[in-house]
Amino acid sequence: MTSSRHVRVNRGISWWALIIGLAVGLAAGLVYTWEIDPVIERNTAPWQLSAAAREDYVVAVALSYAQNQDILLAADRLRAVSPNRNIWEVVAEVACNRVKQGKTATNSDIRVIRALEQLYRPQGGSGCADGLYPTPEPVTIVPPVPTVTPSPTLTPPPSKTPTAPGPTPTSAVVIVPTSTPLAGSFVLARVQSFCDPDLAGVIEVRVYDARGLGVPGIPVTVTWSGNESDTFFTGLKPERETGYADFKMVAGRSYTVTIPGLASDAPTVEAVPCQADANGQTVETIMSYWVNFQARAN
Amino acid sequence: MAKRRIGSLLIGLLAGLSTGVFLGWGPFPVEYRNSPLAALAPRYQEEYTLMVAEGYQYDRDIEAALERLRPLGKPNTIAYVTELTERYISQSNIPAIPIMVALVEALIGPDNLPAIMQLYRSTPTPSVPQG
Repeated sequence: MTSSRHVRVNRGISWWALIIGLAVGLAAGLVYTWEIDPVIERNTAPWQLSAAAREDYVVAVALSYAQNQDILLAADRLRAVSPNRNIWEVVAEVACNRVKQGKTATNSDIRVIRALEQLYRPQGGSGCADGLYPTPEPVTIVPPVPTVTPSPTLTPPPSKTPTAPGPTPTSAVVIVPTSTPLAGSFVLARVQSFCDPDLAGVIEVRVYDARGLGVPGIPVTVTWSGNESDTFFTGLKPERETGYADFKMVAGRSYTVTIPGLASDAPTVEAVPCQADANGQTVETIMSYWVNFQARAN
Repeated sequence: MAKRRIGSLLIGLLAGLSTGVFLGWGPFPVEYRNSPLAALAPRYQEEYTLMVAEGYQYDRDIEAALERLRPLGKPNTIAYVTELTERYISQSNIPAIPIMVALVEALIGPDNLPAIMQLYRSTPTPSVPQG
């Protein structure tokens, strides 16, 4: 008996050695994959940039805005840089940092400060660069406020005299929407195509509120081939963004994107072939699209 | 006894190493947070380039525009901008084409502008007066 017990113990494993081996192996594996041979850096988004590169990106957004005056597009681009912060404060910080770093020596530098200020001040941002380099001809940016004009009352033409009454309805039917408090409250902020071999034929839909924060739970309907459609909701991929949803297209088809009852805009996009650059090689893929909706400012 | 420990250690090492490599390349890859502009995804690089082109239309400072494009780390910035513009033309990206063509024109000069871009120039070449 004693002898057989000894044999069993000798054949077993040393748990301590196994645990130590596991720990050392795990650590070595992680050091190798995180430090020595990490995953190749691709698809870096603007929010992953270094502070200096983010500043370059924000400056480019401001200069672009100074030219096209498209505040929704600028806000959209800035959100890619800083998804979890007040984007106007971010722009104000960039202007302030540039002033502090003495990047005001050339005319080009001053134009950059002015462009940044033109972007953040009308939107409520403020910083240490406020008013340092006033624009000679200040441009006041007033976001368009939709005015509701009453529709003209239609009067029946004279020829339309009442005829003999038909069957009298038993009761007047008034169709009242059960709940449309947000009807027409969103506008199409952006439709842009992009060609990415890693994202072939994808519609990336984002829905933002008036402050620029993602809105989850918004139904998005994609329609194609006339009568086929699919409805899905924003916010089901919170690891991307709270107001994000996406849809995979089939090559060669056209798709109409709507948020039913919330926006009257319904852009149509087409899954056309495109060529993209991937590690120096041109690859054929399918066009993808950004489609963004934003709540109207009150 | 020693063999048993060494064997266990090796088994543990192998299992740990496999798990570590799987986790480090799979579900938990290294996440970059301090990347240069050159590491941006191609679509963001293209958007950045377009913004720089729009900025050029605003300030008409081609040196500054070129300086802003340099961090993209392209071996030949002008060739990159030209190729991107040609791609926009082939994709009929109508809003972006004249903006990019203006940048290419400023970079390489109106005389060197490829024929495909001539149509999209915002300021057509003045015709030589006849007679």
